[in-house]
Amino acid sequence: MIGEYRGQVVQVVSVLMAPLMMMFGLYVIAHGHYGPGGGFAGGIVVGVGVILLRITVPRSVSMRWFPPAAARVAAGIGVLAFILVGALSLVAGGAYLDYAVIDAAGATEPERRYLGILVVEIAVGLAVTGVMISLFDTLVGDDH
Amino acid sequence: MIWQLDLLFFVILVVLAALALWVRNMMAAVPILSAFSLVVAVMFAALSAVDVAFVEAVLGAGLTGLLFILLIRSTSERADAPTPPRHRLVVLPLIGAFVGLMIYASGGLPDKGDPMAPSHQRVSPDYIEGSVPETLTPNVVTAVLADYRSLDTLGEVVVIFTAGTAVVMILFERPRRRRREHGGATT
Repeated sequence: MIGEYRGQVVQVVSVLMAPLMMMFGLYVIAHGHYGPGGGFAGGIVVGVGVILLRITVPRSVSMRWFPPAAARVAAGIGVLAFILVGALSLVAGGAYLDYAVIDAAGATEPERRYLGILVVEIAVGLAVTGVMISLFDTLVGDDH
Repeated sequence: MIWQLDLLFFVILVVLAALALWVRNMMAAVPILSAFSLVVAVMFAALSAVDVAFVEAVLGAGLTGLLFILLIRSTSERADAPTPPRHRLVVLPLIGAFVGLMIYASGGLPDKGDPMAPSHQRVSPDYIEGSVPETLTPNVVTAVLADYRSLDTLGEVVVIFTAGTAVVMILFERPRRRRREHGGATT
């Protein structure tokens, strides 16, 4: 049952929907400063877009398009990036995760915080997307 | 929020929860739980917590159901072992007492959106006033999550990552070990 849905309508519709969902997820991550949502909400929507393809189109396609290993790597990179941003502000002489002390090409303090929030949101999004897809792949079970 | 609508949603939630417990086939319980999450999502949206609402809609009403179905497929559809009547005599009064305590305690909560509520007295005004000048972020929730309280968010992300990694490590080994045992039996 998992892997390919025997019905062209479902396959075509999900192929059309999935990129839109992922795009919306990326929008939510990037737009977290102004609109509702951020890394968590956006990351979840991106992950669900990938999983939608996993359960409708043939596995050979969806696995090549977004390999299970990429999901695990994304999750790791997300968490590491978050920790690293904190460490950077420690190195720059401030408190852990105090983005304002990180010297970012002449940006003022509020601008640095703004950028820091963006980086952290992207990191959270990566981690959430990666963990979700890994969970799904592991539960389906035949990804290796 | 209109209180009649509130009441309707709560009645629907209680009915759905009871229904999910009542059906014996777990495949039937999954869509009921998804519907439950969808109603919760609508209620979050009505409380203007839009971000929480769509996480609940995507995760609670969507993905969780899918994960449940995957799990049920690899175990059993039947929910066996109904509670023996003797246990019911203990459990029902306990639940009743707990619900009673919760209803009693809810009388002491501040009203929805009350600016004088204790939780709005200490650091909230600083966050709300500081969000735009200090971080250029009009969305105060984002500013709190990713800047003022980013250490908490880091903790959350680490918890999600650790939980995910643990599940992957436990389940990932399963088929490989079975193959090895099978190989050992034939040689």
